[in-house]
Amino acid sequence: MQAGIRPRPSRGQPVRSVPFALAAPGRHGMVLTAVNRQAEARGMAIGMRLADARALLPGLATATASPAEDRRGLERLAFWCNRFTPSSAVDGDDGLLLDITGAAHLFGGEAMMMAEVEACLVRLGIGMQAGLADTAAAAWALARFGGKDGRIAPPGTTLAALAPLPVEALRITAGDARLLHRLGLDTIGAVEALPPATLAHRFDCRGKGWSVPERLDRVFGRCPDPVIPVSPPPACVSRLGFPEPLTDLAGLEAALDRLVQDLCASLEWEGLGVRKLTALFFRVDCSAIRHDVSVGRATRNGAHLQQLLARKIGAVDPGFGIDAMALHAVRAEPLVPEQIRLARDAGRAGGLDLLIDRLQARLGKRSVFRLEPVESHLPERAVRRVQPGRDVTAWCACPALSPRPIRLFDRPEPVDGVAGLPDGPPMLFTWHRVARRVVRAEGPERIEPEWWAGDPGGGTRDYYRIEDMEGRRYWLYRMAGCEGSPRWYIHGLYG
Amino acid sequence: MLVGAGDMPGQGQARCRQHQPDRKTRIWRTGIDVLDRALPDTGLAMDGLHEVTAATAADRPAALAFLAALLARLDRNGMVPICQGPGSIPRLGRLYGPGWHSLGMDPADLVIVEAGHERDALWAMEESLRSGAAAAVLGETERLAFVGSRRLSLAGREGRTPLLLLRGDGMGGASAATTRWRVTALPGSSHPFDTAAPGLPHWHLELLRCRGGRPASCIVEWNRETGDFGMVAALANRSVAPDAGWYPAPAVARAAG
Repeated sequence: MQAGIRPRPSRGQPVRSVPFALAAPGRHGMVLTAVNRQAEARGMAIGMRLADARALLPGLATATASPAEDRRGLERLAFWCNRFTPSSAVDGDDGLLLDITGAAHLFGGEAMMMAEVEACLVRLGIGMQAGLADTAAAAWALARFGGKDGRIAPPGTTLAALAPLPVEALRITAGDARLLHRLGLDTIGAVEALPPATLAHRFDCRGKGWSVPERLDRVFGRCPDPVIPVSPPPACVSRLGFPEPLTDLAGLEAALDRLVQDLCASLEWEGLGVRKLTALFFRVDCSAIRHDVSVGRATRNGAHLQQLLARKIGAVDPGFGIDAMALHAVRAEPLVPEQIRLARDAGRAGGLDLLIDRLQARLGKRSVFRLEPVESHLPERAVRRVQPGRDVTAWCACPALSPRPIRLFDRPEPVDGVAGLPDGPPMLFTWHRVARRVVRAEGPERIEPEWWAGDPGGGTRDYYRIEDMEGRRYWLYRMAGCEGSPRWYIHGLYG
Repeated sequence: MLVGAGDMPGQGQARCRQHQPDRKTRIWRTGIDVLDRALPDTGLAMDGLHEVTAATAADRPAALAFLAALLARLDRNGMVPICQGPGSIPRLGRLYGPGWHSLGMDPADLVIVEAGHERDALWAMEESLRSGAAAAVLGETERLAFVGSRRLSLAGREGRTPLLLLRGDGMGGASAATTRWRVTALPGSSHPFDTAAPGLPHWHLELLRCRGGRPASCIVEWNRETGDFGMVAALANRSVAPDAGWYPAPAVARAAG
C-alpha cells in the first residue's frame, strides 16, 4: 500500500484569511507558482502572470517563491512523517510518499490512519490531500484527482478506483495528455482497455520523461516503482505514540525503556544484533529530533543500549512536547545466540565491548582506539590507529628495529644542536630552553623518505638515540644533506 | 552510577575495613625484592590505586616507562585501557606503539583513550575500573583532587581492577591512593657492545607512601629481554653518585642547565 500526500501551499496563520500567492520569475515576467484557497476562489491560478493577477485582484498578497527552501521544508516534513511509517519520501515538488505497508494496523486501519495524518498536518497549518492505493503511482493519482470521496482504493481494486479518473492522473506530459484527449481517450479506464501493443506503437517508450505505457505499468503495479526514503529503511523498528505530548525527561526515559525492550524482542526474533541505532523524537511542532548511537559489535543487550541512549536523552529539547518516539535499527547484523562460557575471563571480554561503546558514546569514536603496526621505516607511519573492535596485526611479526621511544611528537620539534664532528651525534642540545649535555649516543640510523608514498616531511633523516647527563633519553635526528649548519629535531622521548 | 562525591571518608574506610577480611586480594609482584618486602602482602594490591609521579617534568617519560614495565610484568588476561587527558600530549608527544613494544609490552593489548578534557579522562578511568572488564587501567592526569582520587580508589575496589595513575601535578595534596611512587631517571648503563651507546635504563624508584607497608627506595634497571627489573643499587649508588651527581646534585645541575 502506498499513500501519496500533497501538502497544499498555505503558509501559516497570517495569510490564511487573505488571498495570497507565491510568484517566481518566469519567461515573461513574474508568474504565480502557488496560490491559497482564498486566491483560488477569486480566480487566481498557478501559471498566471503576476501583472494579470494584480489587475484582477489588487488586494492579492504575494511573496517571492524560493523552491530550494520549499524543497528543504518538504524534506523536513518527509522526515517528520517517519512517525507514521519508517519509509517516507519526497515525491515531486509538492508531494510526499509514505510506504505504509504493514503500518496501517497500528492506527486502526487505512481510513483511520489517513484521518490521523490529515488531522496532524491540518493542526500544523498544512492543508493536504491524501490518496491511498496499492501502488505509489495510483496513490499519486488518487491524491490529486480522487475527489472528496474515493481517495482510498482497497487492495486489488486499483483499476476500479482509477478508471473514471482523467488521463492527467497518470502523471504524463501535457503533450501526451492532449493527444489522448484528441483520440477520445479521456479516462484511465479507456486507456487501460486498449491493447498494450497499440499504445507502445503510438507513444514512444524510449523517451526520457514519463511515457504513457510506462506510467500505466507503474500505476497498475506491473513494473517496480521503488520508494527512495529520506532515511534508509531500518532493519527493525519500534515506535510509540502518546495521547498527550510529553514535555518532561522522566516520561521520555520511561518511554525509551519500553521502546528498547520492544526493539530487542524483535531483534531477537529476527536473529539480528544492532550496530547503529537511531532514536527519533517527534515534536508537536512538525520537527523531529534525531540521535544516533553506534556500538562496536552487534548487540541486542537492552540494558546496554538503554545506557547509551540515556546519555542522549539529556540533550533532547522537548519544546512544546513530544507526541511520538521511534527507535530504528539502522544497521543490523546477524547475531547468533552466544554460548555462555564457563571460563573465568569470558565475562571480561564481553564487558570490554560494552565499556568501549560507553567510552566512544561520550568521547567520540576517534578518541578510543588500538594501535596496529604498519610496515614502514618512517616512525610516524609505523603505527596506525584502528577501532577497538577490530583485530589488529600481531606486533611480534614486525621486524626488530633499534629501540623506539615511548612517546613520539606529532611534529618533530626543532632543537639547537652542536655536533662534535660534521656527521657525528650532538654533544649539546637545547630543548625547551634547557641545554642538555650528551653523555651517550647511538647512531646514526638513517631513514630515507618513502618516495613511493608521498614525501611527508622533507629529506633523509639521521636518527640518534641520546642520553644526557641526568639519564633522560631522547630521540633526535638531523636533516641530512641540507646546506649550511645542520638542523636538529627532537622526535621522541625514551623512558 | 557514580559514588557520590560527598561520600564520607569515614564511611568509606569503614566499608573498606569491612571488606578486607573476606576479600582475597590478588597480588601483583613487582619482582624487586626490596619493594615487594616493603609492600603489604609482598606485592601491589590488584584492586588499588597506585599513584606514580615523576621527580621533575623531564622524568615523565621515565615514570611512564616504569609503568609500562610493570604492565609488561603483569600476568594479565585482557586489555589495558590507557586514559589520557589532553595536557601531556603537546608537551610530551603521543604514546608510540613501537616504543612500548621495545620495552616488552605488547601494544596490541592497549586501548588508548584520548579524552578532550581532564574531567573526561578521569571519567573514562572510573568507567574502565568500574566495569571490571580491564586487566588493569593506566591513567595520566595533570591534576587530581582528593575527592577524585577517592572516587577512583572506590571504583577500582568495586571492579577489582588496579589503576596505575601517572600524576603530572606532583605529590602535593592528600590522596586516597594505596601506594604513591616517585620515579627519577638516572644515567643508565652503557651498551655491552658499544660503551658510547646508551644501554639499559636506570630508574630511582621511591615508594613514598604505602597503606599497610613502609616506605622504601631502590635503583633498578629494566631489562626488556628478560622482562625483569634488576637491582643496581649497591654498585651504582657508589660509583655513579659522586661524578654524575644524581643525589642531591640533580637540582643544581638542572638549574644550571
